[in-house]
Amino acid sequence: MSMWRRPGRDDARTSPGGGRRRFVQWSLLGVFALMIARAFYLQIIDAPFLSREAGRQAVQMIQEQGHRGMILDRYGRPLAISTPVDSLWGNPQLLLKEPAAWPALAHAIGWTLGQFRRALHAQRHEQFMYLRRDADPRFAKKVLDLRIRGVASQREYRRYYPTGSADATVIGFTNIDDQGQDGIELAYNSWLSPRPGHATVIRDGLGEPIAVHYGHTRPQRGKNLVLTLDQRIQYLAYHALKKAVRYHGARSGSVIVLNPYTGSILALANVPSFNPNTRADLDSVYYRDRAVTDVIEPGSSLKPLTVALDLQTGRVTPHTLVNTSPGYYWVGPDKISDVADFGLIDVNHVIAESSNVGASKIALTTLTRRAMYANFRRLGLGHSTHSGLPGESPGFLAPPGTWEPIQKATLSFGYGISVTPMQLARAYTALANGGILEPISIVHHEKPVKGRRVFSRRVVLEMRRMLEMAASPVGTGATADIVNYRVAGKTGTAHIADATGYHRHEYVASFAGFAPATDPRLVAVVVIRDPTRHGYYGAQCAAPVFREVMTGALRILNIPPDNPETLMAQTAGARGTGHG
Amino acid sequence: MAEIAAQIGRRHLPALDKTLLYDVVLLLAIGLVMVYSASAFVAAHRMGYDSYYLLHDCVNIVVSLITLSFVVQIPMRTWQRWSPYLLLAGMGALVLVLVPHIGVRVNGSARWLTLGVGHVQPSEFFKLLLVLYLAGYLVRRQDRLSEFTYGIMTVAFLLMVTGVLLLLEPDMGSEVILWAVAFGMLFMGGVRLTHFLAVVVSGIGAAVALTLVSHYRESRIVGFLHPFAQARGDGYQLVQSLMAFGRGGLWGRGLGRSLQKLYYLPAAHTDFLFAIIAEELGFVGVLFVAFLFAVILVRAFQIAEAARRHDLYSAYVANGIGLLISLEALINMGVNMGVLPTKGLALPLLSYGGSSTLVSCAAMGILLRIDRETRAQGASRS
Repeated sequence: MSMWRRPGRDDARTSPGGGRRRFVQWSLLGVFALMIARAFYLQIIDAPFLSREAGRQAVQMIQEQGHRGMILDRYGRPLAISTPVDSLWGNPQLLLKEPAAWPALAHAIGWTLGQFRRALHAQRHEQFMYLRRDADPRFAKKVLDLRIRGVASQREYRRYYPTGSADATVIGFTNIDDQGQDGIELAYNSWLSPRPGHATVIRDGLGEPIAVHYGHTRPQRGKNLVLTLDQRIQYLAYHALKKAVRYHGARSGSVIVLNPYTGSILALANVPSFNPNTRADLDSVYYRDRAVTDVIEPGSSLKPLTVALDLQTGRVTPHTLVNTSPGYYWVGPDKISDVADFGLIDVNHVIAESSNVGASKIALTTLTRRAMYANFRRLGLGHSTHSGLPGESPGFLAPPGTWEPIQKATLSFGYGISVTPMQLARAYTALANGGILEPISIVHHEKPVKGRRVFSRRVVLEMRRMLEMAASPVGTGATADIVNYRVAGKTGTAHIADATGYHRHEYVASFAGFAPATDPRLVAVVVIRDPTRHGYYGAQCAAPVFREVMTGALRILNIPPDNPETLMAQTAGARGTGHG
Repeated sequence: MAEIAAQIGRRHLPALDKTLLYDVVLLLAIGLVMVYSASAFVAAHRMGYDSYYLLHDCVNIVVSLITLSFVVQIPMRTWQRWSPYLLLAGMGALVLVLVPHIGVRVNGSARWLTLGVGHVQPSEFFKLLLVLYLAGYLVRRQDRLSEFTYGIMTVAFLLMVTGVLLLLEPDMGSEVILWAVAFGMLFMGGVRLTHFLAVVVSGIGAAVALTLVSHYRESRIVGFLHPFAQARGDGYQLVQSLMAFGRGGLWGRGLGRSLQKLYYLPAAHTDFLFAIIAEELGFVGVLFVAFLFAVILVRAFQIAEAARRHDLYSAYVANGIGLLISLEALINMGVNMGVLPTKGLALPLLSYGGSSTLVSCAAMGILLRIDRETRAQGASRS
């Protein structure tokens, strides 16, 4: 090898510019050296930046979603489930280059070739177009199996609510990103939410994935949530309520069914409701869980609670007499009145006849303001039940220092206090279960939380008799009675109040009670807001709903009848005797 | 191939220069492997099978080596005698390229002629023909090179005419190479330095003016000066190329493991093959390829040096070929690494491209011929 031999001596005569040749040769070698220096800079010194930039365009971290957890009722019936769907999409830039594949693709996704061509042409400057959203995974696989470049699918999950509008206001709904927006879906979003998996995707310059690497996190499905609801009772409650709201031309209504010994919610229905599967009419008018978000002045259905507090003091008994003549009396400038003059009646009849005069007179003599306030608070009135449902209102009970003289009187029959139907139902659990105020729960817990005693056993037994009487033909709530069962409960009818005062012709009809009266197993509260037709009293609007729901629920739960003597009981006609 | 060439040579003349021959074969082999690596993905997608470019490159290389072995047989006197006519034929081809229906347009450039079996790029041939012609011109005008007209203006006029033809294609890369090679040869041929500088300076001025006039070229220059500012526009190709270098690092990602060839870097198997080499074989691979080209340069100049004593024409041709191959290599490297603005220019002997490989091999054949003639002369003298 002689390649590095030195050039011969220059001969100026025969070869002009020998020095120039060497100059050119060394200059070029110098340029080679510069190129190598440049390569060194790019590949060694600037390499971290450049390779990071290259990685940024080619390597992408993607999130892969998993299933959202199911929501189930207490027996495992599905209330909300997520099913996998595949959204097929195409890259128009790539598809335009493969016209040969169009007919097969158009056919597979159920378009005509003309439709497909027009759609593709309209999107020709884009890199993304949906071919089919939310498709059955088997359908998507068939399309993907055509192996057309520029067609890909995205796994998504769609939320289905098999029970539709019956549970909608409680369960709530999720948004397009699978995030809970209201109801249980919102309150337990993090429990239900799947943990997304992270994958690294390497794409070529046209955006087509070449390789997918799963790192440490594969997608993890969300946890299931078991509710205390009994779907059978829920259906019953919803449909009975819906029927009543329509019949009475009411604005809205709520039904709550509780287990008095655990405080768990067996049914919670609201009307109006919405269809969570179509996500149409998504307006808070429809999806509000009114049983916990909306407050009412309960009126007479609160009366049993004040009377129970009176009895609790020991200063009165069920047989203590009160003079309610002449059917009204004055507290300062304000008049308190009954619908009729009941004369001299005992406490039992104050409840049965729903006498405002009687209830307020007793309360005024037996309870101090402070005691009344403190006891209401102990019953959970005027503060949240912590049911865990979103948007729950605490209600409102003014501190005793601010009360007008009349207020102590009106409070005793349920005016001047704002409570949610849920608070009312919860307070009734104490009357039903022997005096213990149970915490409200919608989510099934293995070990129920212990409640606390608010009434003595004696008071509870006395109240049961009183409420049984109130729900019997003797009392205002006769329309709530159930064949073969003894029912205890109280009607309520109250004017609706807003910032401008009470509306003369707008009412809230309610019924709160439990059954069977001798061994209460279910507490139910029915609230009908602003009934406009076929009566407005609690006995006319709310009590029949109570009866329908309770009758069905007792039967569904196989609760033994406690009134065998009335096997041949008369069908109770609507007597329309209820009053505020 | 080397064997055949050597056998032919053994009958009358000394053996071929093995250093140069091995160097060329090594470059062709690296080129073949890298063309396959750089093109397999795109070929599989576009052509349906990944070896499309590999097979075509194989054919190109075989044809080129056969051409090389023929060229080795052609005496330098023949080239010297026929070079003016060959140059005219070459210019004719450059004109034909521009004629519609005869010339073939690809991506807006009319650079090709169809010759039954494939496309031919006349500008590639013209580079070598110019070298062969200029060497003869320098020998003929030896005594009058100091005059401005004969020294430099005749050649400048020739270059301007061809330059217009190349601008019409357009093929700026070839044009730059032509000017650089021509002036390099004139410089080495002994043209007066003052004349030389006057023309070179005005030439550079004209290039700058042309750049500013043409938006197409201006945007390329801007993309070259600030590639990452226009990573999605004019700087795209360069940015992708730079990323390939960065990804390569010292030792490279390994053969076949380039990411940039996956539709990120356009022309990965042709003009930007060097970037793929950098990515897969690393700085070490870049160093080795640069070394192989430097060997051609040094060897060509050594051969020219040796030839000078008995045949000045051969010496000029050897110088011209050394200049041509190394300038093409350097400009391609510079473009790949963002030192020079983007030009459509192949990496000689390595890039995919029939005409370029064929002409480069023919040039190497001429170089080998000169070396053999020189040594035969030396042997006969001694």
